[in-house]
Amino acid sequence: TGSTGTELADAYLASIICSFTRHSFNMGLRGEYDFLEGAIWCNTCDHCRRVYDNWKRKVKTPFVHILSLPKKTGEPQVAWYRDEMVILKEGLEKHLGITITDDNLREAIKTHNETRRLQRQLYELRKKEHPPITGAETLAVIVAGTAMPKERYNQMLKELLQDLKGAEGIKDYRARLMITGGILDDPNYIKVIEDQGGLVVTDMLCFGTRILWKDIDEKADDPLQALAQFYIADRLSCPRMFQDYPRRLSVAKDMIRDFKVDGIIGERLLFCDLWTVEHYQMSKEFKPTGIPYMQLDREYVLGGIGQMKTRVQAFLETLGR
Amino acid sequence: MVTETEKEKQQRRLAKFIEERDSYEAMAKAFGQSPSGTDKLYAPLTEAYVEQHNAVIRAAENGEPFVASYYGCQPEIYVAMDLPWYTFLTPVFTNAMSPTLPEEIDATESLFGKDFCTAFRVAGYWVEKDLAPIPTVMIAMLHPCDASLAAHQLIETNEIWRHVPMFGCDPPYWDDDRSLDYYANETRQMISFLEEHTGRKLDVDRLREVCEESNKMYELWIEYNELRRAVPCPHGYGVGLQAFGVAENILVGSPKGTQWFRDLVEDAEMLVKEGKGKVDDERVRIFWFDVVSLGLSLDLFPWLEQEYGAVVVMDMFGYTPYTLIDTSSEETMLKGLGKRALCDAPMMRQARGVADNWIGDIRHVVKDYNINCVVWPGHMGHKDGSANIGMMREECRELGVPFMHIGMDNFDERYTTTAEIKEMFSRFFSAHGLG
Repeated sequence: TGSTGTELADAYLASIICSFTRHSFNMGLRGEYDFLEGAIWCNTCDHCRRVYDNWKRKVKTPFVHILSLPKKTGEPQVAWYRDEMVILKEGLEKHLGITITDDNLREAIKTHNETRRLQRQLYELRKKEHPPITGAETLAVIVAGTAMPKERYNQMLKELLQDLKGAEGIKDYRARLMITGGILDDPNYIKVIEDQGGLVVTDMLCFGTRILWKDIDEKADDPLQALAQFYIADRLSCPRMFQDYPRRLSVAKDMIRDFKVDGIIGERLLFCDLWTVEHYQMSKEFKPTGIPYMQLDREYVLGGIGQMKTRVQAFLETLGR
Repeated sequence: MVTETEKEKQQRRLAKFIEERDSYEAMAKAFGQSPSGTDKLYAPLTEAYVEQHNAVIRAAENGEPFVASYYGCQPEIYVAMDLPWYTFLTPVFTNAMSPTLPEEIDATESLFGKDFCTAFRVAGYWVEKDLAPIPTVMIAMLHPCDASLAAHQLIETNEIWRHVPMFGCDPPYWDDDRSLDYYANETRQMISFLEEHTGRKLDVDRLREVCEESNKMYELWIEYNELRRAVPCPHGYGVGLQAFGVAENILVGSPKGTQWFRDLVEDAEMLVKEGKGKVDDERVRIFWFDVVSLGLSLDLFPWLEQEYGAVVVMDMFGYTPYTLIDTSSEETMLKGLGKRALCDAPMMRQARGVADNWIGDIRHVVKDYNINCVVWPGHMGHKDGSANIGMMREECRELGVPFMHIGMDNFDERYTTTAEIKEMFSRFFSAHGLG
C-alpha cells in the first residue's frame, strides 16, 4: 500500500494490534481513502474487524458496511452468508441508486473466474523444474489483480503467460519453498527470501492460492448462492474457519507433492493468535514427513532484513542446500 | 522404557484437577469455620467448586460421560442433561496466584508466539502435554476472540484429543432476531450432538426447571447490582466475578445458587441500610472494564482501597444486562439461552460483535453507578478490546470521566508488574484530582 507510518492510528489502537490494521486505519485517517464511495469489512479477525468500528466513527466514507462471516463451513453458514450478501446488495443499491441484477452478478463471476483460471495457469508454470517466474514476481501479479480493472488485468495476464511459456526459467536456486500465512502483500518480503536462494514456488496466502485455487459456480440458478458457497465452503480457508484444518492440511500436502516443495516458511504478522496456532499445528504435522517448517514473525512494513536473511540462510542449511 | 497404564494416564490427566479440588476444599473448610460478614458467602462458593470438580473426577474414573467446554456455551443444557462439565480454561484462572504459573507460561513459548493470549496458551499447553482430563465430548467456543477459536482448533488436532467429538455453535456478528434464530438452530444441532455422543437425552421439562431456577438467580443478581449503586458501594472487587461464577459456571440453574444470591442480596442490603461500604471513606468509584484479575486481588485492589479509597464498583463480569428466559416453549428457551450466551454473557456481549455494546456499556455503567473513572486493563489477549481504546477514551471524555488504559497480562505479573500498575494509578489519580 505504500504506507510508512501509523502515527494517527496509534491513538485509537493499542500496541498489541497488528501492524496491517494500524497502517490501513492510518491511511483512512490521513484521508488517503477519501476517494472511496464505500468501504466494506468482514469480521475476519479481532484486529481487522475493529477497523470497521473505528472507521465508521472517524473516517468520512459515505457507505460503510460489515459482513457477518460465519466461522464454520456447513450449509446453514452458506445460507446465512447468502442473506448477508442480500443485505449488502440492497444497501449498495439504495446508496448508489443502482440495480444489481442476477445477470450483472453472473457476468462479474465469469470475469473473476477468468482471472482465477489465468492465475492458476501462472501457478502451473511454477511447477516446472525451472519456473519462469519468482515468488516475489507472482505476488506482485496477484496483488495487482485485486486492484486493477479485471478485463484489463486479464488481458495483461494473458500476455504475461504467453511470454513466460517461452522463457528459459530459473535454474540457480538452492531450494523450492512454499510460503503460508495471512495477508502478505509485499513482494519485497519474498524477494529477501529468494535472494538467499530459496525460490518460492507456491503459497497458501490471502494474496495467493486462497483466492484463486477454486472457481465460483457460473451456472448456478442463484448467483448469490454461488458466491456464498464459494466464500464459505469451497475456497481454501484460513485458520479462522473452524473444523476446516484437515482440508487446509490436505491442500498443503498436495502442494508439496505437485510443486516439489523442499521446505515451508510460515509467515505471521505479530499479535496474530490464529496464525501462531496454525503454524504450530502445521509444523508439528510436517515434522515426521521430513518437510522442515520455519515460522517467521513480521511487521506489515518490511524491516529487520538482516535478521530475516540470517534465519532464511540457516533454514536453507537445514534443508541441506 | 516403562509404559504408562491407562489408569496411570488418567491419574496424570486428573492430577491438576484433583490438586485444584483439594485447594478449594481447604478454602471451603477455612471459610466454613469462621463465617462472618461478607466472608460467609465464600464457603458455599468454594464448596460448589469442590462438588463440580468431584462430579468430573467421578465421571472420569467411572467411565461416565462428561463435557469439556468454555463459559457461555449454554451450560443450562448440560445441567438439564445431567452432564458434569468443566471449562478447560478454569485451571489457568484458579492457578493465577500459583508460584509455578510463570514457569508454565515460559514453557509455552517453545510452542506458540508469546503474544498469543496467555490464558489459552497455558490451557493449550496442558492439552498438548496431556495434562487435562479427556472428556467424552467437547463443546467449543468460537467467539468472542481469535484466541478462543484458535485454542479449540489446536485441541481438535491434538493427537489424543482429536478422537474427542467436538461441536461449536457458529456465532453471528449481530444481536437481532435473525441472529438469535440462527443461533437457536445451531443450539439444536448442539443438543443432537450431545445426545448422540453421550447417550443422554434432553428432557424439555427439566430444561424448563433449570431455566426457571436460573431466572431466579439472574433476578437476584440484577437486584444485587441495584444495591451496588449505593454510595458507598457495599462490596468491592471480585464479588461480580463470583456472581458470574455461580450463575454461569458452578451452580447453573441450581437452588443452591439461588440461595447464594439471596444471601448476597441480604448482606448487601444490610450494609447499604447501615451506610457501610467496602471502605469507610470511599473516594473513587472505578469501572474495571474487563475480568477482575485474580493475580491482582491480593495486592493491587486492597492497595487501591486502602491508599485511595478507590473501590471497583462495577466490572465487566459483574455487569448484568441479562434478559430472563421465556420458558413457555422449547423454541423460546433455546432463543433465550442463545441471547444469554451471545448478547448478555460478559465479554461475549462486548467483544463478539460490533463495538456498540462495548461503548454503550461504558455509558450506562458510568451513569448508573456514579463512576468517576473507567479503567481498561488491556489484557494482552484482548485484542479486539485493545482496538477500542480510542473509542473508549472519546466516550469517557464525552461523559466527563477520566479513562486509563493499563496494558497488562492477567496471568503474568512480569508483563506489567503490580508496582508499575500502582505507579500508573498514582499518577492517574493525581492528574485527575481523584483519591
